[in-house]
Amino acid sequence: MGLSVLNVRLGIGTLLLALVAFTGGALALYRFLAGIGAVSNLNQGYPWGFWIGFDVLAGIALAAGGFVVAGAMHMFGGEKYHPLVRPTILTAFLGYLLFIGALLVDLGRPWTIWHMMIYWHHESPMFEVGWCVMMYTTILFLEFLPVVFERFRLDRWYAIWMNVAPWIAIALLTLFASAMTQSMAWVLAIGGVLVAFEVLVRLGVIYRDPRMPTLLLMAGIIFSTLHQSSLGSLFLIVPHKLNAIWYSPILPLFFFVSAVAAGVAMVIVESTASAWYFGREVEVHLLEDVGHVLTWAIFGTLALRAADLVLRGIGTELLVLSPQSVAFWIEALVGLLIPLAILLTPEFAASGRWLLVSSLMVIAGLLINRMNVAIVGITSTYGATYYPHWMEWAITAGIVAAGVLAYLFICSNFPVFTPAHHRTKQA
Amino acid sequence: MAIKALLIDLPRCTGCRGCQVACKQEYKRQAEKTTFFGGPGYQNPADLSAQTWCLVTYNEVLINGRYDWVFGKRQCMHCTVPGCASACPVSALEKLESGPVVYHKNKCIGCRYCMLACPFVIPRFEYETWNPYITKCTMCGARQAAGGIPACAKACPTGAITFGERDALVREAEQRIASNPGKYIHHIYGLEEAGGTCVLHISSVPFEKLGYVMRVPRSPMVAHTEPAMKAVPMVMLGLAAVLGGTYALRTRKQRNNQSGGGAGSHS
Repeated sequence: MGLSVLNVRLGIGTLLLALVAFTGGALALYRFLAGIGAVSNLNQGYPWGFWIGFDVLAGIALAAGGFVVAGAMHMFGGEKYHPLVRPTILTAFLGYLLFIGALLVDLGRPWTIWHMMIYWHHESPMFEVGWCVMMYTTILFLEFLPVVFERFRLDRWYAIWMNVAPWIAIALLTLFASAMTQSMAWVLAIGGVLVAFEVLVRLGVIYRDPRMPTLLLMAGIIFSTLHQSSLGSLFLIVPHKLNAIWYSPILPLFFFVSAVAAGVAMVIVESTASAWYFGREVEVHLLEDVGHVLTWAIFGTLALRAADLVLRGIGTELLVLSPQSVAFWIEALVGLLIPLAILLTPEFAASGRWLLVSSLMVIAGLLINRMNVAIVGITSTYGATYYPHWMEWAITAGIVAAGVLAYLFICSNFPVFTPAHHRTKQA
Repeated sequence: MAIKALLIDLPRCTGCRGCQVACKQEYKRQAEKTTFFGGPGYQNPADLSAQTWCLVTYNEVLINGRYDWVFGKRQCMHCTVPGCASACPVSALEKLESGPVVYHKNKCIGCRYCMLACPFVIPRFEYETWNPYITKCTMCGARQAAGGIPACAKACPTGAITFGERDALVREAEQRIASNPGKYIHHIYGLEEAGGTCVLHISSVPFEKLGYVMRVPRSPMVAHTEPAMKAVPMVMLGLAAVLGGTYALRTRKQRNNQSGGGAGSHS
């Protein structure tokens, strides 16, 4: 074994990642001195571009694996997925931190981001997304804490955390409900259900999960469902700018189902990649089952999209040659049709390699979809055009590289892939 | 308080750009370096910007077989229910009861969602500085509050810009259209656009020939996001109940073991 820093193996790959991350950081610094115009092609007609499409819309969707896997496992009894829970929660947590970092680059006045907490405006989808992300990142942090407790053998802290975390979850949810509704009736109704649940758990009427407070996971699912869909709601306000191929009143629903599919695909990619990097065995049988979930998620997305296009009468737009229709077909083929065909072929569905290929395609399809909604489908007036500046790409690449390095560092130093997993597997 | 508005009577405009200059003076906006550009090259500058909030547009329009200059005016439309204000996550944009849509720069976080939401492409962002703000016409809210009228209306020498109560100006516009057959087209731009605006335009030629944005919904922009936002607390309550219930039902057996064994009950 060669050199390593902080237990992370130094190789061409990691050095390259560090270089990309460093370049991105330097360019981001330049952006804070010279303004957004100096590093991007964003303009008066295209106020949102690559950063919103890639870092925000796609980035958050790709981190959906955290809530899907944790939710499926604890809430609906997918016990076999347990080995996947910790790595996906870690990816989701890092994903959200990176997204917040990226948002600070895109926001014009990032040092005022906390204004969202004091100037409430619940009519705005942006307000809801901002709040959800704040809340959910806190939840993910809480969900990740057991790994830290185990690493440093903080058993007492673990016990305290088990006791306190549910109340923090309730507090965050009710605070969120009051910010979104500013109505006491809603706060009492939502808070009441949550408190009742926790009290019943404490009274022993409802089973108490010894691994993680159920309310924490519920909060994660609720916040995720809300903001994954609200990212789509953001674009409901542009019926005049977004092409009819993508503009639909149920855009939030599309964003949600496609995020679930992409989140699941990320779990497959990430498990395969980290198994390869850390020299572990790929959990093929487990991933095969995840593949079934993926199949259904793609199918659901496809069915919704198709029904929507038919019901809104979007037919000719898809057949006329235009940048938008071409972009749509690439998106549909790469993200939905081809991976679905692969997964429905029995020989391919049982093969780890093809599972990986179809997952990568679903992820690529999601990226294309979010880019289409954020950039390709948007027509601005006054002849404004937009194509991302190379520095926009470089800053985003730097952020992603920093995220991968952080993931490798944490997995090399903390019990993310714990021996406990082998125990559950044998049990 | 009655809601105030501006009536822009384009056939009365001589293209003197007095309004443009008055606006720049009032808000101490810098001059812009411009170049002569093809087509409507006499228009100066080419577009609204962080420095130019009020712009007279020069359009060559074919009228009765010969080309003629027809002027248009670009500025914030001051929607009755503004999309920018609905979109803003921190209420930095606010619709005043008296009509103006004003910007509170101290609240703004620079997300530029207002720019995306505005159907008229009005809010402009200062891309070239580390400390940027959104900028746009304020309908001289401060001047109005002090009893004055907007600077552009004050400066206009030909009566092309009239300031007054919106209802009265709508009647006035209708009356001008009705009593001058042939001089005006039958369209008050801003009467219905985006649910109605506080800047009303009347013209001698169709507005699309003057470069006005025609793809504007007739409903307020917020009408498109409202259903999704209304659903938020319902989704929360529904998910809390369904998830909690599902979990309780699914883990009944484990609960019986837990309380029966007595091991987990005091954890």
